[in-house]
Formats: sequence, structure tokens, C-alpha cells
Amino acid sequence: MKKITLLSAAAVLAPAALSAAPAPAPIAAPAPLVDDEDADEPEDEWHLVEGGDVYTGTGAVLRGASILIKNGVIDEIGYDLFVPEEAERTDVSGYRVYPGLVALGATSRVTVGRFAAEDPSWAVDPLSDPDEWMYGFDDLEPTVDDEGFRSRYIDSYDPFSPYMTLALANGITACEQSGAAFKLRRDGIEGVVMNEDTTVGFSMRGSSKSNTRDAFREAARYLREMAAWQRRGEPDDEEPSSRGIDRNAVRVLRNEVRASFVAEDRLTLLAIAELAQDFGFNPIVQGAREGWIVADELGRAGSIVVLDPRARSWNDPESLYQSGSSIENAAILHAAGCQVAVRTPSSSIDTGGIAGRDLLSLNLQAGYAIRGGLSEQAALEAITIVPARILGVDHRVGSIEVGKDADLLVTRGDILHYETLVELAFVAGDIAYDKTKELFYAHIRPHEITADLEADAAAEAEANGEEEGEDGDASDDGDDD
Amino acid sequence: MLLTSLVLGSATLIANPTGATTAGPVQPDLFALRVGTAETISQGTIPNAVILVEGGRIVMVGEDLPVERGIPTLDFPDAVVMPGIVGSRSRIGLEGRAGTDITPELSAAFELDPGSGDFAKVLEHGVTTLGLYPSGGGVPGVAIAVRTKGGTLDRMLLSEPSYLQMYMSSNESAKRLIDKSFELVDEYMEDVEKEREKFEKEKEKEKSKSKRDEMVFQPPVPDEKTLPMVRLVTGDLRAVMGIRKASDYLHLMDVLDQRDYEFEFDVQASLFDDGDLFYVADRLGASGRRVIVNPSITQHPGTRRERNLPKELNDAGCPLAFVPSSDSASGYEDLLLEVANLMRYGLDRQVALRALTLEGAHVLGLEDELGSIDAGKYANLLLFDGDPFAVETELLGVMLEGEFVAGDLAE
Repeated sequence: MKKITLLSAAAVLAPAALSAAPAPAPIAAPAPLVDDEDADEPEDEWHLVEGGDVYTGTGAVLRGASILIKNGVIDEIGYDLFVPEEAERTDVSGYRVYPGLVALGATSRVTVGRFAAEDPSWAVDPLSDPDEWMYGFDDLEPTVDDEGFRSRYIDSYDPFSPYMTLALANGITACEQSGAAFKLRRDGIEGVVMNEDTTVGFSMRGSSKSNTRDAFREAARYLREMAAWQRRGEPDDEEPSSRGIDRNAVRVLRNEVRASFVAEDRLTLLAIAELAQDFGFNPIVQGAREGWIVADELGRAGSIVVLDPRARSWNDPESLYQSGSSIENAAILHAAGCQVAVRTPSSSIDTGGIAGRDLLSLNLQAGYAIRGGLSEQAALEAITIVPARILGVDHRVGSIEVGKDADLLVTRGDILHYETLVELAFVAGDIAYDKTKELFYAHIRPHEITADLEADAAAEAEANGEEEGEDGDASDDGDDD
Repeated sequence: MLLTSLVLGSATLIANPTGATTAGPVQPDLFALRVGTAETISQGTIPNAVILVEGGRIVMVGEDLPVERGIPTLDFPDAVVMPGIVGSRSRIGLEGRAGTDITPELSAAFELDPGSGDFAKVLEHGVTTLGLYPSGGGVPGVAIAVRTKGGTLDRMLLSEPSYLQMYMSSNESAKRLIDKSFELVDEYMEDVEKEREKFEKEKEKEKSKSKRDEMVFQPPVPDEKTLPMVRLVTGDLRAVMGIRKASDYLHLMDVLDQRDYEFEFDVQASLFDDGDLFYVADRLGASGRRVIVNPSITQHPGTRRERNLPKELNDAGCPLAFVPSSDSASGYEDLLLEVANLMRYGLDRQVALRALTLEGAHVLGLEDELGSIDAGKYANLLLFDGDPFAVETELLGVMLEGEFVAGDLAE
């Protein structure tokens, strides 16, 4: 039972300071003028993010540009945009705008969990503990949300999860959980699943190798027979039987879904590359620690590799071949033609490890790849557009382009720099995270935007003053972008 | 026992006062109570209040009312009087276990042990009415309202059913369960439509006009499982939704929005450290949702910063009904002090008093019978020798329907 302590009049922290990004104002339907149908049309929501240096993630940088967002989707990027009067404006002059990061293999706690485990024994009647309800319903169709997704995490989605806030604080605006791609929205429980059924797993390890090969061979044969049958006009009795055919392999060959493999060692990687080249699909390879040894083959197969640039393993001194890990793994694979995505060593959110090994260290991971020689643009792509492509949602997230969701990060400096903190995070056009309003990092380098600009101007003036002796073309801003 | 009633019958009220007293002088049937201060809840604080009681019910209350000669007057010039505490959600005196299922036909009355000594104990602490809810998860059944004295179900029962208990959680099976329970209503409505069509056809066939005029459509009686659900959606019965975290409420609205049924429900949540109910405070407040909570100061998630969630919810527009943090006799013993703590953190005094009394009555659907000091209501009163929320104050007596049944005054 709770002890009652008699406290003096302790000030209670104003809830406003503690609350997360407030829920957006409800969309007001315009007053019906003529038809009743008009009354159901919600007004468009406009938002302008102006003045920042926009790093689109495709390689382009637009300095001092504005992004116009309509109903959560990027409508225009550029200068001198026509902005509707009722648009909300956020001035990010002097800041950079990046696309939101996409994290592969995130812990379910990001969208479901909460902080400290509560002790259920006294808080809730143990006879009706809701946690006991996870089991017990065998029948009925799974629940389907508006867009027809059946992910079991939709019904557990908790937009108030503190883990989600932490993920957003570190730049992650979309993540993958158990094969489904989620947006980290905080304004409700709708529209959070972007895609399910993203990849299908196969194994080429050891004994499974021949089974997988057989599966693909049979699938290819089936497809050939289907094509021939269709050319003959689909005569009734002669439809090729699909018995014993691996449906997933067929889907991969039809380009309906991507094939995903897990492999670290050279020989398995070679086998995967061979398989992919033989049957004509682009594999996703997770791990690929020794990929640098067989980069050419993987590149020829058009692989997308998902790697942890920090992973280390010793080479085998008794082997005639190269083995072990290399910091240059990402760079070598990229140069050979693979698409490179980066993931974190651990999918959870915790404080273990030096410089973090958990989900929140995603941008650091990309930094390790750069250390090994990967270009900065490719490293940024490795945590934005390439994971989005793997999840099949690259038409919605992964870069700042017209028509994509407005998932943006506003930062003070380079997103890949370890000291950079996210100032603002937009998800679907709404501010999902504001560093000054959340408790986690609000005390670290707090500042107002205008104060920054003045400090920058003052620093610049000083620098220019020292160079007064020199003539002509002043050096550039000196920004090490 | 669950009394059967017609489709749209109202909850049955049993209005008999308690049986013979145990010991002590016989209480007069008509008397006046003169006190220093009366917290009426509905009319604010009345100084030098006079409360006229007859037949166990309050007849009149006012400041310095003249009392007719001949009416016995009980004088407590320094006492503070408030209505008896209503514990709207409790399992005191109940024994039972149940799983998670849709069983709206079950009642907490099945689990009642009327002879339990706990009732007398909570009565000593000023609890005159309790809402007892059934065990189990999902839609376990209906709750009953009892007076905390009587010894048998018949003598204790105030109303049944008082509300339908339901639970929601942020997961697929909980949402599906709630959905399934409303499917019962859907099926029943379909049946009614079919019967109505049949009836219309028969009516058309009937040649005699006089006979036709006499034919009235009798809707089919729903089975015992469907009946409470039907009463819920027709506004005849309220519900209490148990949730644990803020997102549970969002998922609840998601399930309810998919159906057109509108019904009244209160939200129950246990407030504890790291609780995040404040996230949906404005949504709850916008709907004027009553919240049944324990009066606790809790810590903001992941921190040691204290928040007064009951106050925040109330400020957002939610009426508050308090239940103690521990659903037990000792929990009720500490209830007033817990609430006093909340008031130190800024909760308004009248809101606190209301949360202990009238709002609990609202939950049980008995707001016309008890919960405040108003003419016509039961004379359930607590007499304190000072401010009820002060540590040193003693509870002098507990009056249940016009009779002192606990405290020094009962002897």
C-alpha cells in the first residue's frame, strides 16, 4: 500500500512543459454551402518549413530553401514558394533539414513498450490483469485497419511510448518490426503501418543450400510452364500443377517480394551471389561480414547488403583465403556495385556498450562506415533510402522529394556527426519531437534559433576582421559541411 | 439474484432501509441534526446547518433552519458533516475468480459474501455505499451497489445492475473481445428487424381493420447474455471501461468508432508511477468522461518529477471519482488522508469532496438517491469533529439512512 508522506507545498511541474508534442488541432470541416457532401471534405493542412539547408538525401543540397507540406506529404521544395495563408510556419533558418532515418530490426518496445515495468499486483485487480489476455482467441479474422494491413502490432501501437520518443530524438522516423514497416507517428494510432510482408527469408547455409536451390529451380520451371500454358491460350486440362512448388520462391521470381538471406562467411555469400545471378533476382544479404572478400560477385548479383560496419571477427590464420571482418567492408561493397544499408548491432534501446550499440546509435554506425572509406552521401543513403527500399516503402520515405511523406529532421549540424542532436523531428508533416519540450536532451546545448544566428554572425565577423589584411575574394564560410 | 425485466425496463431499486439496530437507544424516525458546518456537495458549504431527517431520508437542509417544537434535535455545534463516502468500484466482501470472457449476464451479486466482516470495517471508516464489480477480464459482468450494512443480500442491495464492467488493452485480443461483445447487439438488432418484417407481413394479411389496429409489434426478448448489451446501447445501463495506459483509450475509441452505438461510460484507471494518462487528458476532458482513479501523486514516466494526475484530468474537464489505492478496509482508512495530500498539491476542496461522494453515486447510477446532502436523498452522513481532511480529526459517527451505525455515536 502506498505510504502517505506529508510534504510541504511542493511545486508541481507545469504539465505544459512536460507534455510531448501536442495533438494537432482537429480538422474543421468548412460550413456547408451548397451540398451536404462538401461538409465531409476536410480542409487541407499546410505546413511550411522554411529557411533551412535542405539535404534531400539524393545528393542535392538546397541552402536556405523551404519545404511546403500538404496533408503530411511534401508538396514543393524550393525558393519563393506560394504559401497558403493558413499554413503553419516553422522557421529553421541556420539549421539543416535531413530526411528521417529508417531503422531496420527495431525492438517492439519502440511502438508498444513503456518504461519501468509497473508492479501489477497492487495497481490492478490481479484477477483481471489485462496482460493475461494475449491468448485465447483462435477464431475470427485478424483485425484489418483502414489500409488493409494486418500487422499484429497495429493494435498494440502506443504513440506515447517513451522508447518512441527516444528513437525520434535520435532521428529515427520509421522502423521495421517483425517484417512490417512503421512510421513513428505520435498523433494517433492510424496510418502507422506503411507496409507488411516486406521480405521473405531463405537460407543458403550448409545443408539448406541445396534445398533452396531446388526450390528456386522448381519455381523457375513452374513459371516457364505457366508462361507456355498461357501462350497456348490456357487450355483447361493442362494447367501446370503448383504442388510442391515453394510459393515464396515463385513470388521472388515474379518480383512481388524480395528475398532475404542471412550470411556472414565468404562461402555462403558466394553461394547466394551465384543463386541470385542464376535465377535473376536481387538478394538482400544481412550481415555480410566477409562481403569485402567477394564484393565483385555480390555486386554482379545486384545485392543489397545490410551490415554492421562495426562488427569484428578475426581472420582464420590457417585458411588460404582471406577471412574476417574489415572496416572497409561497406566501402568495398559499395564500390563493387552493391547497395549498402547500415543497421545497429542491437535492436533494443539501452545504455550498454561504448558509444552505444543500441538502436539509437544508427548515425554513429554510418560514421564507422565512413571511417572505412564509404562516401558521406552513400553513408547517409545507407540509413535512409536504402533501408526504405528494402522495406518497400521508398516511395514514401527515405529522402526529401516531392510526393513523399514529410518525415524530416532538423539539426544544428551534420546528422552523421556524433555531437549532433535532433532539434525537431517531423513525421507525416507534424512535429513529433521537439528537443526543447522533451525531457531527454532539453538541457544539452539549449538555444534559440536567433541567438545561434547572431553567434554565428559574430564569429564570422571576427574571422573576417582577422583577414582584413588580405584582399579580394574572401574565403568561403569555412563551414566544414 | 439477477431480476429479469422487460427489454427496456430500468434497474430495480430496493428502497428498504436497514433492519433492526444491533444495540443502543432506538433512533427516532424524525429528527433534526444541527451541526457547525455541512459540506452538502451540491449546494456548497453551509455553516450552522440544520438537517431534517425522516424515515431515513433527508427532508430539508439549510442554514439555521428553525426546528418545530417536539422534533428531537441532535446538536453538534463544532461538527463537520459530509455525505457518506461512496466507493464506486470495489471487491470488498466478494470472493471469486474468473477468466477473460464475454459474460455480461453474470453479476457481482453471485460472488457476494454478505456476512463478510469487511463491510463493518469500511463502515467504521465512513463508507456507506459500495459498488461491487465482478471478477474476470474482458466483459466479466455487471456490478451492484450495496449499503455497507445488512448481513444479507436482500438487505444490502441498493441496485442491480449498476454498471457493466468492461476492460480494454492495447492489443489485438482485447479489441476483438470488445468488438465481439457488440456483435451480440448487432445480431439481436437483425433478429428484431426480421421479426418486424414478419409482423408487418402478418399485419397486412389481416383483413379486419379493428384486429389490425390491435396488433402491436412485440420485439423478441434478448437472451440473458445479450440483454445487458442491448440495455447499454439504448442508454439504460452505463459502463465502466478499465484501462491502464493512455494508448488503451485511443484503441478503445478506435473500436467504438467502428460502430454507431453511443452509450455512456466512465473510464477507470489506476494511477501509478510512470503512468502516462495525461497524454489523453484533453481527449477525455473534451468528452467530459468521468474518470475513476486513486488519489495519488505519481511520477512522470522515467523521472522522479511528481505530477498531480487527478487534478490535471479534472482541469481538462473530467469529473473525478476516487477509490482508494488499496481496495481494502485499511485502504479506506487512509482514503481521506490520501485525498488531503492531493489537495496540498493543488486539488480543489470541493472537487475532492465531490469525488468521494456524488461522483461515485453517478458511477452507480444512484445520483438521485445519495452522494450529497439534499432533500429526498438517503440520510447517509459522516460527522467529524473538525475538517475531514485534517490528520487530527476524528470521525464521531457514521449515519446510515438516518441511524448512527458506527463511531462513538452508535453506542
